[in-house]
This record gives sequence, structure tokens and C-alpha cells, in this order.
Amino acid sequence: MRRLEMILSRLAWFVPTLAGLVVIVFLISNVIPTDPVRILLGENATQEQVEAMRVKLGYDKPLPVQLARHFRDVLLGDLGVSIYTQRPISEDLAKRLPATLELTLVAIALSIALGIPLGVVSALRRNSAVDHALRVVSVSGLAIAAFWLAMELQFLFSMKLRIAPLNNRIDGFGPEAVTGLFIVDSLLSWDMESLRSAVSHIALPALTLALPAAATIVRFTRAGVLEVINSNYVLYQRAMGMPLGLIVWKYVLRNALISTVTQIGLIFGVLLTNAVVIETVFDWPGLGTFAVQSILQSDHKAIIGFTIWTGALIVIVNLLVDIAHSIIDPRGAR
Amino acid sequence: MTWAWRRAFRRFVGDRAAALGTALILVLILCAVFAPVLAPFPGDVGDFHTANRLHPPDGVNWLGTDRMGSDLLSRILFGARITIAIAIIAVGTALVIGVPIGLLAGYYGGWPSNLLMRVSDIFLAVPQIVLAIAIAQTLGPSIENVILALSITYWPFWARLVYAETRSLKNEVFIESAIALGASPWRVMALHILPNIASAIIVRTSIGMGATILTAAALGFLGLGAPPPAPEWGRMIAESREFLPEAWWYATAPGIAIFLVVMGFNLLGDGLRDILDPRIRRGGGAK
Repeated sequence: MRRLEMILSRLAWFVPTLAGLVVIVFLISNVIPTDPVRILLGENATQEQVEAMRVKLGYDKPLPVQLARHFRDVLLGDLGVSIYTQRPISEDLAKRLPATLELTLVAIALSIALGIPLGVVSALRRNSAVDHALRVVSVSGLAIAAFWLAMELQFLFSMKLRIAPLNNRIDGFGPEAVTGLFIVDSLLSWDMESLRSAVSHIALPALTLALPAAATIVRFTRAGVLEVINSNYVLYQRAMGMPLGLIVWKYVLRNALISTVTQIGLIFGVLLTNAVVIETVFDWPGLGTFAVQSILQSDHKAIIGFTIWTGALIVIVNLLVDIAHSIIDPRGAR
Repeated sequence: MTWAWRRAFRRFVGDRAAALGTALILVLILCAVFAPVLAPFPGDVGDFHTANRLHPPDGVNWLGTDRMGSDLLSRILFGARITIAIAIIAVGTALVIGVPIGLLAGYYGGWPSNLLMRVSDIFLAVPQIVLAIAIAQTLGPSIENVILALSITYWPFWARLVYAETRSLKNEVFIESAIALGASPWRVMALHILPNIASAIIVRTSIGMGATILTAAALGFLGLGAPPPAPEWGRMIAESREFLPEAWWYATAPGIAIFLVVMGFNLLGDGLRDILDPRIRRGGGAK
């Protein structure tokens, strides 16, 4: 019951948070003294042209009126038309969302699969050579610029060893679209050729994203396991002669992973941040490349649309993390 | 107090990782300050020698040359100035805005504080770089705008941190007694609360510098940083992309420079946390 209450109160905050985000992005792009109309029409436009366009786009109205119109447009899902693709921005974003989602989901899965076992090993063999080596790797993983790591992996695996494709998401047309996630779709239609291609294409970008995330997970899992393993109940179980593997698997992990799960929400934010940058390196047709193209085109509306969408995505993920957290750790459901 | 600080200092000196971090940051500062003296070709920040373009590392150009034939080592040394300026000013500004807001909101409470904290929550709901991209793009590419974008998106983090710490301190007996003795709110905040949250702020400042350098480099990489001739590390990596298979040294040098500097701040932050934040130290090792 309390969990339901928690979820409802978080859901109640969901709308104001998104509304606040829309307002902040709107204010940032309006308070700043640049003239979007001037940018849109270029340097050579006459004063009359600028004025006409300003009236047409509604920039002549007072700020609150503009804000109200902006709100209405966002609510209707109308974010304007992209200069880059000449299509509605919401449509573009919706088309690109699955690519980014697939990339970040695979990266998260990869970082958990790497991070949690390594963190446990690191804690159980505390101060051993393995622990020290892992600590060096995890500290380094957090200091590497993601876009640079992406380029170096490309250089090594695609250009020198030639075992991974250089860029893009798939060869050919891809599997029949159901979810938009190529790996899932190719499994659904049992299209092995597409599956192989999709997996080989996602390997490098997902690995780039997963490494810093895995570094964080290793650190938190290690700290969590260390904290639990010295607790009285674990000491008791060991004294009773329970095998260490069983204790770790059944009793330590569940308690140790609480802080790790909380971290996964934060990590998703970091992943999305890095995805924006490294999608460009791998020409991954997701939200990030869209954002970068829009930057290059000075496409104001597209950037605002991108910001709102990513913000919403992060808020949703954090909500899901809170729910997952309350399931693993009932104490937190307050 | 002095005794505690002296003991903390001794422990800090004994921490090899923290010492390495401090050394890396000192090297960065020295490079930035003495760039004109250290750089073998100080003119190469703006000059180009197209005959010598994309030259691999040798005895003359230790780190090779770039697409303009400029010496990469010289450019990286001058780039240290940009990096350090962005990190110090952006983090400093965010601190100057965020810390007072967090203090006041935490001390007074009430609806204005709730509103402020909600606003900072919204900022924190979006990844920093996404908002920074939106701001830097609107303002146009320049170092000043990168700094502004990073400051605007970073203050909520400090406000949140200081707010939480202040709220929990406000219920402590020594704060209550100071208020009961008639100390003014300013006095309580400046002399009793701030010193007690200073260690938390210092630790996160160090880690925040590393994070800010990474974000600034990413903005530079996306073309939102300093305009072309500036030897900004992120931009240098972006420029090297089209020459990647042949000129391997081109991307490697600035990438390693970023790595070492961020590593320095992270290690220093970890070391400071171990000595300044006993709550985490008790948890057993690095967290």
C-alpha cells in the first residue's frame, strides 16, 4: 500500500516536473539575447522580412503569450518543423527514439553484466592484485572522454583489425519493424542475417557507453558488498559453516545491490549524455545525431524538442528506478 | 580543529592515489602558466605550415603535427589554459550561485525554498550536457558561452547538496544553541553551518572539476566550444576524426591530455573524501 502511495506521489510530480522543464527551456532560449528570426532568415534579410517573419511566427507577442502558445504546442505534440529534415520534429524524434533506446539498453545490460560480478570479485578479494587492477581500471573508466574512447575503439576494431563495422546501425534495410529495436525485431521475425548485422553494429557503440557505466557499477557494488559482508548476520552464517558462494548469492547481493540499483537511474542519465556525443562518432541514427545535426544547422526548435524528449525520458526512467528500488528495499517505501 | 586538520593532512600525504592526483593537477597548472616557455613552437597556436601537415611524432614535433602542420605538443600546452579557465570559472560560478541558494533555502525553509528546490530538481532531471547544448547553441560558439552554459546547468547540483546538508545540520544541538544565544541567521550560516559542510563541498568540487572538463570537451567536440584556431582539446579531437586511420597520433594526444587531467581531479577528490568525510570512510574503502 505504501508502495502504491509512493508511486502515486511520484506520478503526481511527473507532470509539474515536465511542465517546469518546458518553461525552463523556453525561458533559456528566450531570455538569451539572440534573435531566432534573424538566424532563421540569415544575414541578408531586410528589416521588413524580419518583421513579417516575426509576426508570422508569433515572436511579436509578449513573452507570457508566447509561453502559453508554446505550452499548447508541446501538449499537442507539435514541436515545429526541423530545418534539417523538413519534417515535423516530433515525427523525427519518434523515428529516432528506438535507435537510442536500443543502444542505451544494450549498454546498460552490458555494464550490469560486467560491473556487478567484477564488483563482487573485487570486494571478496579485497586488496588483492585483482582488486587493485580493477580499481585502476574503474577510476580510469570514469576519466575517459566517451567520444575519444569511441574513436580509439573505431580505430582499433574497425580500421586496424577490421572485425567490427565502422558505423551505422545495420547493413541493408533491417528487419520488419515492430518495436523499432533491431535486435528484438530480428528475433521476432527470425531474421538471422539482420540479427547478426544488428549485433555487430551495436557492439562498439554499446561497449563505449558501457565502460564508464560499468566502472561506476563496480565501485558501488564493491562498496555495497564490503559493507554487508562484515555485518553480523553474514559473520553468523559463515560461522555456521554456510558456503561463501551461497551466502553471497542469497544474502549479500540483495542488500549490496540496493545502492547499485539507485545508481542505475543516474547511470542512465550519464549513458544518454554520452550517447548524444558518441552517436555522432558512430553515425548511429538516434536522438544524439539528430541533436548534433540540429546544432550544426542552428535549428532552435529541434534543440528544444530534443531537450524536452530526453528530459521526459530521464524522468520516466527515474520513476521506474524508484519503483524497482521500493521492490528490492521495502524500507525505502516511505 | 587544527589538530584534526593536521591529522587529515598527514593522512592525505600518505595516500598515494591522492598524491598522484595532486601531481597531475600541478602539472596541468604548470603547463597552463608556462605554456609560452614550455611549448617548442609557441607560435603554432595560430600559425600553420601546410608543408609539414600530419607529420608523425619525431624528435622535432614530439607529438606530431595536425592538419595545419602545427605542432600538437605546443597546441596541447596552450589548450591547458582553456581547460583550466573553463573548469575554474564554470565550477566557481556554479558554487557562487548554488551554495548561497542552498544555504538560505535549507536554513529558512517555507514555500520559497520548496520552489527553489523544485526548480533545481527540474534542472537535475535533464542531463547537464543536454541543457548545456541548448544554451550554448542559442548563444553561439565561444569559450565564454561554454562557461555560461556549464554554470547555468551546474548550480542546481550545489544548491541541492548544500540544501540537504543544511537541513540536517539545522536540527543539531550546537546550531540550536547558537540560535538560542541570539546569534543572527547570517552568523549561524557563515560561522556554524558553512564550516561544517565545507568538506562535502571541497570533495565534490574536485570531482566536479573533472566532470566539467569532460562536458566542456564534449561541447568542444560537438563544435560548440571556442572557434577554430583555439587549441581546445575537444575540438582538436573532432578535427582529427577525418584523418583517423592514418594520423593515429592526432586524436591520441589531446585524448590522453583530457584523460590525465580528469583522472587527476577524480583521484584528488577520492583522496579528499577519504580524509574529510569520515561517514564514507567507515563504509570500507573507495565508494
